[in-house]
Amino acid sequence: MSELTPSESISSAWKVPTKAIRLEATGHDGSFLGKTITPAKFASGKESGFAFADILFAIDLGDEFVFGDAFPDWRGNLYDISMIPDMDTLVEWKPGLGAVIGDYWLRDGRPVPICPRNMVRRLVERLRALGYTATVAVEIETTLFEESVQQARARGYRDLTPLGGDTGATYHLARSKDWVDYMEAVTDRLDELGITWEAWTDEAAAGQTELNLAPTDPVALGDFWVRTKQVMREVAFEQDRTVTFMAKPTAGFGQGAHINLSLHRDGENQFFAPDGPSEVMLQAVGGLLTTMAGNTLLSLPQITSYRRLVDISGPPTTISWGVNNKTAAVRAIVGHPKYSRLEYRLPGSDVNPYYALAGVLAGVVAGIERRMQAPPQVDDMAWCLPDDTGVERVPDSITKAIAALDGDEVLREYLGDEFVDFWVASRRWEWMEFHTKGGDPYAELSAWESRRYFEFP
Amino acid sequence: MTETPTIAPGPAAQRAPAPIEIDDDATPIVRLLGRTLRDAVRLGHLPEVFDRGIGTVAVRSHNTPQAATVTLCDGAVTVTGGVFAPADATLVVDLEARFALTQDPDGDADLADGVLRALQHPLPSWQAAAERFWEVTRGIRGIPDVLIAVAQGPDGPQEARFGSGPTTYRMVGTPDALAGVFTGADYLLTSLDSGLRVQGTLSQVSVMTAASWKVRFDV
Repeated sequence: MSELTPSESISSAWKVPTKAIRLEATGHDGSFLGKTITPAKFASGKESGFAFADILFAIDLGDEFVFGDAFPDWRGNLYDISMIPDMDTLVEWKPGLGAVIGDYWLRDGRPVPICPRNMVRRLVERLRALGYTATVAVEIETTLFEESVQQARARGYRDLTPLGGDTGATYHLARSKDWVDYMEAVTDRLDELGITWEAWTDEAAAGQTELNLAPTDPVALGDFWVRTKQVMREVAFEQDRTVTFMAKPTAGFGQGAHINLSLHRDGENQFFAPDGPSEVMLQAVGGLLTTMAGNTLLSLPQITSYRRLVDISGPPTTISWGVNNKTAAVRAIVGHPKYSRLEYRLPGSDVNPYYALAGVLAGVVAGIERRMQAPPQVDDMAWCLPDDTGVERVPDSITKAIAALDGDEVLREYLGDEFVDFWVASRRWEWMEFHTKGGDPYAELSAWESRRYFEFP
Repeated sequence: MTETPTIAPGPAAQRAPAPIEIDDDATPIVRLLGRTLRDAVRLGHLPEVFDRGIGTVAVRSHNTPQAATVTLCDGAVTVTGGVFAPADATLVVDLEARFALTQDPDGDADLADGVLRALQHPLPSWQAAAERFWEVTRGIRGIPDVLIAVAQGPDGPQEARFGSGPTTYRMVGTPDALAGVFTGADYLLTSLDSGLRVQGTLSQVSVMTAASWKVRFDV
């Protein structure tokens, strides 16, 4: 049998002509990065990998070099690293264009220690070694505006018109057709790409939408999450609308990205017990709360992320958990062998999905391996708790979160010193850039933040 | 030869220094003002400014929203972020040019002049600054083993060397440029735009940036 040419090989899998392949992965800020190559180029490097400058882990959202730490040995004077595609993620993005997600690897075959997707993969493996498989889902919140992205840019991303009406609401079906048309186009594209979604609805703020992705393997969920964001952006471009995943795109409201997680062994949900949380669930809660202060820097990665943390407004403000308590940072859903799970409510919509998932998995694995004990659950409202309750508050500024992660020995073990040092330095850089390059900490929302975060990540 | 003057501790340094308090979780401008005023106190520079009774000075960046309030009260100094009440005096300065005024001060002229002069205290010699820089930044993870500073003055280059080991970082500039970076009066990356030259890897520029934050902002 004669060998197929690269183009024929890919085309035969899809039964369509293929003109190009798009390589995809996130950088550290969660922006979806990549490049488009010919089928011949793809065939020549799909196993050995494609050279990417390590600059993708060294440039901030303003295109400045990020400084502040001593690079590890694989980073130097703009060395190359290898992006190796994961062929399980190969899809036909649109007629003639393939798309594949990859991971970053060093030349000696080790994973790049700060590669977002590889970090999730490593923690999944660590969990598997304990005998568990994780299933995760995410609620993606985003805000839509009527204007095109060109119009949004011209206005500095201010004074835009929420798509679907000026009022915030939840579950209202009386939304105008423009908003419905947009979401139906999005879900059609997700169906075509094999991304399983479960629901969508309007959210509490004007123009805000929530889209739920179905539970699946954590690496796959990360892939679906970043691709869903890309789909939502592309549909917005096509329809002359604007979409943003900024944590707080206007002064008035913010948006999150709740992660739901359950653990299974031999097909059985290990978070289920007939009378409430199982022992495994309690250990997972213990790990998640022990690491929550440090994990805040992954869950709330940008300056604007912290503007969401307002008591009695939705996001958690205390390091707390409770059964079916949505005012707490971790909500335990119990009592059902299928649906028992933990909802980690801290992340904002601007997270790097892979880092956020890695942080949650690190907490869970640590809790189980170290048999951590869950603190007493909060039965009351978890916002505005008095100090004498002993319930600590979530770090409410990026500098407090930097200090928390820097000093978190548990997360250092599970995420790696190299990543922690890198992330601490990069977030300190972000803080310094905000304050010294035009951000206003005393404004409800500064123009600097809109320029930096509205379109990316 | 022109050389940055060394400031000998004055009489004020021999009595209890004025405490300089800053916000918890302070912004960079607050940290910069606090660190600079602490240096002034440490050097015994203009103690009469700190002994003044009561007064508030708003300090604003000329080109960014950065702002802070300096409050003098019975020998103690407090620096807080933002300006939320009318101040007795206002200074609008270039934070990247050692608090150079960009417009005339507003309000109490004596108070404004005193605080400005306190912020613009003369720098120590580049050698003394380098020595202190070396002490303060040694603990930063990944900092090079050896620092070589070369001052290019009118009498030719002078070199100072600190530490030992395989990784070396070399900085070359005027005595004033070196003193500026080593004291934190100037930010390393800004100084590179104005003539300071460095020899080392990209990684070393990165970690030296952290060192610059340490001496400039105490971060």
